[in-house]
Amino acid sequence: MIDLTQVAINGLLVGLVYGLVAVSFIVIYRSSRIVNLAQGEIVLVGALLIWTFTLGVKLPWAAGVPLALACCVGLSFFLERSIFRPLIGQPPFTVFMASVALLILLRGMAQLVWGAETRPFPAILPSGAWTIGPFILTKRLLIGAVMTIVLVELLHWFFMRTRQGMRLAAVAEDHYTALSMGISVRQAVAVAWIMGGVLGAVGAVVLLSGQIVSLSAASIGLRALPIALLGGMESVRGALVAGAIVGVGEAMASVYADPFTKGVSSQVLPFAIMICVLLFRPQGLFGWKVIERL
Amino acid sequence: MLLPTSVRFSTYATEGRYVHTRPQAVWLAGFLLALTILPQVASLYATGVLTVMFITLMAVYGLQVTVGTAGQINVAQSAFMGIGAFTAAKLSGMDVPFWLAIPAAGLAAAVLSIIFALPAIRVKGFYLALTTLAAQVMFPIIVIALPADWLGGPSGMAVEPIAIAGRMLASPADMYYFTLAGVVVCSVCAFNLQRNRFGRALRTVRDNELAAEVTGVNVAYYKVMSFFAGSLFAGVAGAFFAYYIRYVTTENFNLLLSIWYLGMLIVGGLASPLGAILGTVFVTAIQEVFHALGDSLLAAFPNIGGGLVFATSNVILGLCILLALIFEPRGLAHRWGVLKAAYRIWPFPHS
Repeated sequence: MIDLTQVAINGLLVGLVYGLVAVSFIVIYRSSRIVNLAQGEIVLVGALLIWTFTLGVKLPWAAGVPLALACCVGLSFFLERSIFRPLIGQPPFTVFMASVALLILLRGMAQLVWGAETRPFPAILPSGAWTIGPFILTKRLLIGAVMTIVLVELLHWFFMRTRQGMRLAAVAEDHYTALSMGISVRQAVAVAWIMGGVLGAVGAVVLLSGQIVSLSAASIGLRALPIALLGGMESVRGALVAGAIVGVGEAMASVYADPFTKGVSSQVLPFAIMICVLLFRPQGLFGWKVIERL
Repeated sequence: MLLPTSVRFSTYATEGRYVHTRPQAVWLAGFLLALTILPQVASLYATGVLTVMFITLMAVYGLQVTVGTAGQINVAQSAFMGIGAFTAAKLSGMDVPFWLAIPAAGLAAAVLSIIFALPAIRVKGFYLALTTLAAQVMFPIIVIALPADWLGGPSGMAVEPIAIAGRMLASPADMYYFTLAGVVVCSVCAFNLQRNRFGRALRTVRDNELAAEVTGVNVAYYKVMSFFAGSLFAGVAGAFFAYYIRYVTTENFNLLLSIWYLGMLIVGGLASPLGAILGTVFVTAIQEVFHALGDSLLAAFPNIGGGLVFATSNVILGLCILLALIFEPRGLAHRWGVLKAAYRIWPFPHS
């Protein structure tokens, strides 16, 4: 029983941390109706920038991380300005393809600038674990999970209670309607990308702190996508619930089913959930029901 | 489309022809003749590049059916190709002749693709792309985890060479001719698919689902069938790839390759198989330029080492897709059409 609870707690924490990356998908969709398939690459570039500004140029992380985040803001702004602004009003197909192109573009750029080698990632969050009763809680993951919850609540408040947030919601609903109501779609898309970039980098800090970073860190994006979809692409809070479900499910599968399936079940589970969500409840748990249907 | 002068149609059959005039027939024959002679004069390396290009072209034809004609996003074309390749590899190990193994590989990929196309009944747009993404991610995980005597596990599978009338197809030139024959058949299929009932139904689904439904096109059925047809091409391409490379592993069929195929199609133009041809040739040419420049590139970026050509090609292809999307969504095929029209009515101006 203690084992089971321990596995569930670990899964919950990991799921919540991946939920943070899922939120970065959601804020971009939520405010500009773009599914950014390249989010994993944005996380990767964020992680490599943090490496450059901390271990690369030997700055303390308190100075390096804000610098890296500022670079992420700059990069996101540049991407919005050069790629996604000309595509405002284009069919979703075109915008999706642009994000696919961005995926290989950023992957190639990261390899050209930083090379393919594996590097240590600075230990920004404390390592080690707290022991509470019979349970062991990894400090890094616990701090990350708490950070996710705080950020999600802040974003929820932003989207639901502030004027700027409501504007973004209008843009997510329909570009043309938003334009005719006098809302700047350009500004909304820019804000969305900056939030997505920063959240991606924060996700990188939590997930990679004290670990290693290589080009394969981009797969974080693919792991977070099922969470975003299960929670619903429009619901920031949904990512928390979905992250918990997927995280616990994955942890359970990796402990109880993987020995019999050579480690497949835990890797396949999120994507199996994703296909089921698309088949039976395409809007996810908490998404808007007005999705395009036949 | 602007036709050459003095072309008149009296029946539908004459209008449906691809070759209308004698010069066109001469050009086509000359082109095919040149492709036939090529491996005799070109280097072994060039022959290999062309063979891989033909195989890629088959897969991109399939993508043109799913993405270009039916408007459904598919980011798992290389996984479907992988399914075909592993099927062919398995069948070749069981002494099944190639003329059975290749169609079987196509069918295997097509049938499996239906599972991932089923959400098409409920959702549209990018949601569908996500199920194909799931297919692409799950493919290597599952193939590697299957028992090693099924599909070879992590180390992959060897493929028996093809024997035609007791003669092994071993040399690059042999494989070139074999693939050329395959790509010619695929081209005929891809071009004809555009103008039969099936292709027209797919185009209606792409352009306006409501109108399609009203005119009696079963939208969900044709969406699923667009994946079936597209993956059929992918499976056949995978089988040819397996016979060419003679050893298949899951690393040959990753997400980046799927994106590359999509990129080729977008750069070339989504609307017709001609776009698939132009895009594949264009991207292969870019790749070969970087391959040729490899040494000097290595001198410019010494800290990168292996994978440099791949990285630069990724950047360039990404840029090409973005430029195509922003400035010329109709792709190179449209530019080619404009060029042809301008040539035909010269010296009169053409926009």
